[in-house]
Formats: sequence, structure tokens, C-alpha cells
Amino acid sequence: MCVAKRGTISVTIALSVLSVVLSRAFAQVETPQTGKESSASPLPAATKEGTQEDPFKDLAPAATPQEAPKEPERSWVQIFLTENFGFRKEIMSQFDINKNGRAASRQSVGFEVLKKFSTPTSTVGSFNFQGRLVRRDGFNPVPNDMEGEQRRGWAFEYHNLYLDFYNVLNPLLSDEQRGENVGRFNFRAGRFYVPFGLNLQTDTHGTVLQLSNERNFGFERDWYTGFWGTLNKHLNYDVYYLAGSGYDLKFKGQSGLGALGISLSNKYSSEYSLEGGLSILGGERLSAEANERTHATTMRAVTSVPIETERVGLDGRYRQAIPTGLLTFASELSGGRDATDSVFTQLHQAEYIHSSRRWGMATQYRRFGEEGRGADASIIGELTWYFRNDVGNSNLHWIKLNVERQLERIQGRPNMIITVQYYFYR
Amino acid sequence: MKHVFAFLTLTVFAAPQQLFGAIGCTLSNPAEDLKYLYPEITTYKEELNEFPRLKDGAKLFEGLKARLGSDLDPIYETYETPYTVYSVFKGQMKIGVVHGVNVPGKGGVIQVFLSMDPTTAEIKSFFFQRLESPAARELRSKDFRAQFAGLNLGDFYKHDYYAAVEPGAKADKIAAIKPPPLDRSGQPDYAASLRGIRKNLILLDFFVFKRRFEPYFEKARQAAEKAKGRKG
Repeated sequence: MCVAKRGTISVTIALSVLSVVLSRAFAQVETPQTGKESSASPLPAATKEGTQEDPFKDLAPAATPQEAPKEPERSWVQIFLTENFGFRKEIMSQFDINKNGRAASRQSVGFEVLKKFSTPTSTVGSFNFQGRLVRRDGFNPVPNDMEGEQRRGWAFEYHNLYLDFYNVLNPLLSDEQRGENVGRFNFRAGRFYVPFGLNLQTDTHGTVLQLSNERNFGFERDWYTGFWGTLNKHLNYDVYYLAGSGYDLKFKGQSGLGALGISLSNKYSSEYSLEGGLSILGGERLSAEANERTHATTMRAVTSVPIETERVGLDGRYRQAIPTGLLTFASELSGGRDATDSVFTQLHQAEYIHSSRRWGMATQYRRFGEEGRGADASIIGELTWYFRNDVGNSNLHWIKLNVERQLERIQGRPNMIITVQYYFYR
Repeated sequence: MKHVFAFLTLTVFAAPQQLFGAIGCTLSNPAEDLKYLYPEITTYKEELNEFPRLKDGAKLFEGLKARLGSDLDPIYETYETPYTVYSVFKGQMKIGVVHGVNVPGKGGVIQVFLSMDPTTAEIKSFFFQRLESPAARELRSKDFRAQFAGLNLGDFYKHDYYAAVEPGAKADKIAAIKPPPLDRSGQPDYAASLRGIRKNLILLDFFVFKRRFEPYFEKARQAAEKAKGRKG
């Protein structure tokens, strides 16, 4: 574990230095001109079609035309920490109890660092890191902490850790070609949501309700690298190679996973309130569950082993405004196999948020079925009171009550878990 | 459990104050949207603006309220809300500015985006990224949205002036805007959309256009005060 973390820090530093170097390289070839600005009328347009006695005609222009951005002389450290640099803190306090009276606590403080790298005329990359210092006492399998069973007591956790580079072919293209391909070739490397289903478009960092990837693959984030962008005005694409190792980046004989996603463009979300996509994933990943299956009757699995994995998934989300607020319906369906056993996962969620954004409620049905082993299925209800609920998720503060009724279990008997969560993010 | 609470308490007080927020009303897919708005685009640049990090940010935030003429919603329009301005380039030439804001509507979020001429500070086009409204279809109509092309923040301040001094003046371009056919349930979201456009223009005047329309605001404010005095 320690070796893996040291490796992660080294990778982070290396990627950060690389991004700064690239940013500077772009800056050297791009210096904006003032051209159009200097030739245009400085007068606000309001005087163009005034009345015969324009009461505003005596107003002197208040400002000169906008000047092109200038790059002051600053060190890369100053640039890194001031321009488009974000630091946010997070507090999560979660208590849960099952119907047998087994209680658990998960307390954490965390932070998120976001940074965008730009030249005078272009945003060329971004970096994101989320970390949490967590204290766990006891354990219940709450949807947002499935991996907590292996991390009792104190733990420092990383969640997102990735770099994006936008329009990576630009240095090789003419202006005309850049225009034709804007948004088409973006590169991502690091740890982020598994590119399967709705999770790439959904921030579940703080929420109790999660999507289906954690149960489907054993992890909801993985280490990967690849390309994403716009295919055409209707479709976006994601194509990646994933390590298939989940939390730690490690190779223990697995070949990794290839993933391809095709999703509806933003136009459909904006005009029709509709998101949707098709995902395909295949290869080998590490799975503790596969090991557990092999040794189920003799020992408790603590290590992961490679397992052949194939999945095809369909996902969709639709928003419908109603007079008092907003209803959102989401579904993820996927089928495939783990080794020779077929698997089928389904998740359906309905959510309501009041137009004041002060309170909301949600319900989710989820089921993961595996040939020959049975299924894990639950129905979940959730109520949320928001103190802060920024639309862009940049300023969040809430209390949630989440009740999960397990309907089927592959191992053990179905239970009920009640969770209360306090969350602050700003 | 004692040490858990002690840890949390200590950490909360020791944690640094907010240095930065990051994602406010952003385009979901900037490249796609900016290409649509400016087909000649070659590159674009994102710049984050936040009142807490601006010089005299608190005063400026109060100024937003004054210029908007209405209270700010404590959930949708907080002091900490970050704003992303997109600058659009063709080669080395800046050809556009795009910016979005959130405003509360009857059904929830209304995200109003404006694409602007970077030289004249006039609206090139306006569109909704999210419009959680029973009147969404009507408000999205091209005919309605096209009426805003060519307007600037000065026109909104002039509207305030004319409302105080000369109601119904022909020169009042904002009063001349024809709303789409709406039933009563759609009226609040029409008003919210207009408020969103105005708020967006005010913020752009702060962040990008160096407050060039301040004289118009001052003139309108003085006219409104005089009119109030006469009535009083």
C-alpha cells in the first residue's frame, strides 16, 4: 500500500510538471492580437438607434474597447496557484445502523484541488485531485462506502486524481483544422469514474446514493488513459484503456480493460432534457469477489485475482419540470459475463427536487444478478434537506436520511440499513 | 466516539477559509457549444471569476444586487458562486465571449447563457442550457430569443430610466420585447429569464467589459430617485 501511494505521488508530480511545461510551450506559440478591438467603435451600441432627443447622448464612453489578454511576468508557481486554481474543503459525517442494531460511523475531512492551464488564447488542460482523511468505526455496506470494509480506523483516501489535456492535436494543426476539430481530441490520464454508464456525467463524490459501477465491477473509479471528445453535433465519444485494478494502481496478472462509450451530445440534454449512452467494456480486471467465490467455503478473501470481464450497457436520464420542481428519472442496464458466468445489472432511480432547491427526495432500485450465485438487490429511499445547493455543485451543504431495504443477497441475509449523513463542501 | 468529534471540531476550525470555488454555471460541453455559437472558432479559453477573490468583491456583490434591482436568491445566487467566462478566438483574434448564470425559475434552475461581441459588448445570441420550466418550449423559441441580439447592458439601464421618466418611450428597447405566447403559469419564468439576461450582462460588465455601462446605471438611478421624490 505504501509503495503504491509513493508511486501515486511521483506520478502526480510528474504529471503536474508535464502540464506546466506543455502550458508554457503553447504560450510561446500563441500571442493574441488586438486587431479587431482597436478598429471598432468604443461607444456602447445604445446610442445607435436613439430617439430624437436621446437622453443618453451626453454620456461619454465609459471604457475603451476590451483589450486582448496580456500575460504578466510571473513564476509558474504564482500562475499555478492564482489563475483558475480551485481549492475546496469537505466535511462528511455519516452514521448508519442496520436492523440488528449494528452501528457504524464514517467521519471525514477532505479537500479538492482543481486547476486549469491556459495560454493567452486557449485552455489546454486541467488537473483534479480529491483527498479525504477518514475515520471509520464499524461497518455496514452503505452504497457510498462499499470499499470501507477493508479500511477500518484511520485512512487517507484519494478519489479523483487525473489530468485532462484539451485539443491535444492543436500544435500539429492549422487554424482551419483547429476550428474543424475543436473539442474532438482530448486526452485523459489518471484516476476517475469508470467510463461506463452515467457515472462520467454524474458527481457522486458526496452523495449516499450511487450508480451501478461499484457493484458491477467492484470499483466505481479506476486508473485509465485515453481520449474523449465530440464525434459530431449529435454524439460524444470516450475510448480508454483501464488498469482494471480499482483503488490502487497495480498489475497482478490482469491485462486491463478496454472501454468505449458513445453518448448523446449536450444538445439533447439542453433541448430535450435527455442524456443517454451506450457503453462497451472488456478485458481483465482484478476482483476480490472472484477470489472470494473460489475460496468461499474455506477462507475469507482478502486479495484480488484477475477475472475476464465483458459488459455492454445502456443508460439514460430524463428531466421533467413540473409546477413545483423537477423530476429526474435515470436508468442503467448492463449485461455480460464474469469469466463464464453471465451477469446482469439494473439500476432505476427517480428523484424530485423542489424548485427552491431546499429539499428533495429520491428512490432507487438496484439489482446485480450473477448466473449460479443469485443476486444482490435493494430498494432505497432518501430525503435531503439542503442548506446550500449550488447548481454547479460548487457549494453544497446538506443533511440526508437514507433507508436501504435489501431484497436479495448473494451472501448473508437481507437487512435494512438506515444512514444519516451530514455533508459540507465549499 | 469522543476522539472522532474532537478531530472533526479541530479540523473544522483549523481548515483554511475558502480560497476558491471552481465550477459554477459552466457549459456542459464548451467545445461543442462554442463551435455552434462561433463556427469560425479555432481555440477558446476559460477564466474563472469569483467575488471573494475580486478586489472589493463584497462591495461588488452588493452592487450586483443594486444593478439587478432585486434580491439575490440565497441558494442560487450566493456570494461564493463561481462564474466561468469563455473567450473565443479565431487564430490570435478574440471573436467572442460566452457566459452563463443560474437564476431561480418556477420549476427550478434556469441557466441563461449569452454569447457576446467582445468589442461592442452587445448580445450576439442568448440560449438556455437548462430550463426547468413549464414554459420551456415557448421560451426557447427562436423568434423570442432573436429579439435580444444587438442589445447591451446600457439598454437595460435605459429601460429603468424610461420607466421612471418616460414610460412607453419608443427608444425603450427592452419594453419593446414581445414575450412568447404564455399562459399564467409561464409568466414567472419569462420574468426570470429577463432577470437572468440582465444579471448575466451586469456580471460581464464587471468581469470583462471594465464597467463601461456604469454611467448608464448612474443616470437611470438618479432619474428613478428624482421620480420617487416627485411622487413623494
